[in-house]
Amino acid sequence: MRPKRNPDIVWRLEKGMQELAWDKARKGEEYEDLGVLTLMTGGTIHQLNLVGAEIWTRINGINSLEKIAAEIAVLFGADPADIEADVGEFLTGIAEKGWVTLSPDSGPSGPKWSAR
Amino acid sequence: MGDSFPGFRSLRAEMERPLTLSHLASPITVNWGITARCNFVCSHCFSRLDRSPELSGEEARRVVDVLAAHGVMFLNYGTGEPLLREDLFSLTEYAVDKGLKVTMNSNGSLIDQAAARRIRDAGFHAVGISIDAADPAAHDAFRRMPGSFDKALRAARLLRENGVRLTVSSVICKVNHGAFAALVSLAKELGARTIDLHNFKCSGMGGLNKERLDLSPEEWKTFYERAIPLKLAETGIEVAFDDPILSLLGGEEGAEKLVAGSVCGKLSLYIRPDGAITPCGFIPVTIGHVLRDDFGAVWRDSDVLAHLRNKTAAGKCAGCAKFSSCLGGCTARAFAVYGSYDAPDPHCWAEPGF
Repeated sequence: MRPKRNPDIVWRLEKGMQELAWDKARKGEEYEDLGVLTLMTGGTIHQLNLVGAEIWTRINGINSLEKIAAEIAVLFGADPADIEADVGEFLTGIAEKGWVTLSPDSGPSGPKWSAR
Repeated sequence: MGDSFPGFRSLRAEMERPLTLSHLASPITVNWGITARCNFVCSHCFSRLDRSPELSGEEARRVVDVLAAHGVMFLNYGTGEPLLREDLFSLTEYAVDKGLKVTMNSNGSLIDQAAARRIRDAGFHAVGISIDAADPAAHDAFRRMPGSFDKALRAARLLRENGVRLTVSSVICKVNHGAFAALVSLAKELGARTIDLHNFKCSGMGGLNKERLDLSPEEWKTFYERAIPLKLAETGIEVAFDDPILSLLGGEEGAEKLVAGSVCGKLSLYIRPDGAITPCGFIPVTIGHVLRDDFGAVWRDSDVLAHLRNKTAAGKCAGCAKFSSCLGGCTARAFAVYGSYDAPDPHCWAEPGF
């Protein structure tokens, strides 16, 4: 699955909040409640915490779920296998809200067309 | 699992957060009066009495730099007639290049085919055209400008023909509160994506004409009771309005509130033509200057904004069960009428002890 952001969504990283959240995470303090990224869609405002923001900023229509999960795992020192299901759940959830579209992976075999 | 952060627990259900105002490093929206000049003399205008000088073109670009550097998402030109500003299009192109979504409110009188094309080419995200009544005579009388209704409709049509996202912007008052459904129909016919039904503010000329134009609290209640079903209905156009006192109607039907109480100073700020920063256009209290002060520090540290974000129930609000959701209603209206941020909203229809 390759997530792509809805271009109508306006978003920003909150200046200082990402640094603060990382600082807290490194110290073992609570960082999950900090709104690090703000996005506006359909007249409503939402915020993502540090992990959500790190995922969101990697969504570009090219990076696959697996690639994003692997990077998040490295970033947070977690097991990629554990992370992938969570990232997938998050992406499915925001796809249902219309924040991203999920296109199927073309797989390692490359292009979908075939020579006759 | 490798060396995980001590604070790392789970990704699930924690990534999306409810909006926390203290986590906003700057306003989402800045409303900017790029000029106070106007070719109209509308009965309700909040800025007609503003004689402040406007920023130069070079200063205006520096304002854009400041806003972009602080991550402001939306920039809306209002106050006077933006099209009277000679550098409107180049300034807008500059702001769009910096990543801002730029909108403006216009009376439409200066939008001909050439202007509509330039608006499109400059990259405006949307343009609001003021239309206050579906009846031409009523609109012209309110705007105190014969022929203004026809010009507004012409502007709306030209914008749509040129692919510009159109909003119809209407100020609800004595002139139109009983006939707003016709306004919605007109906006839809014009191809507007949204119609904004703004509540009347008794600031500036609006304060001087309050007795003649403002609705009574009961009339506001009746208006919202009729408008909410229209907002919720599938009419093919977004009917948008927001007012802190909507929470009095129970539930949040149609209200879709972003924050409790007024959004001013919580999600948005206003910049006057001379660069002075105020919480909103209707609260004429300067809290800094966009080019002379640290914009982020003003947003974070202003005592006035701190007060607006932490209002105290006063008057009939004290003990009112709805205070936690309406936070005293519109602060601008309270300030305009009573001179206090904490005073009850003069539009509030709730009796003491509600």
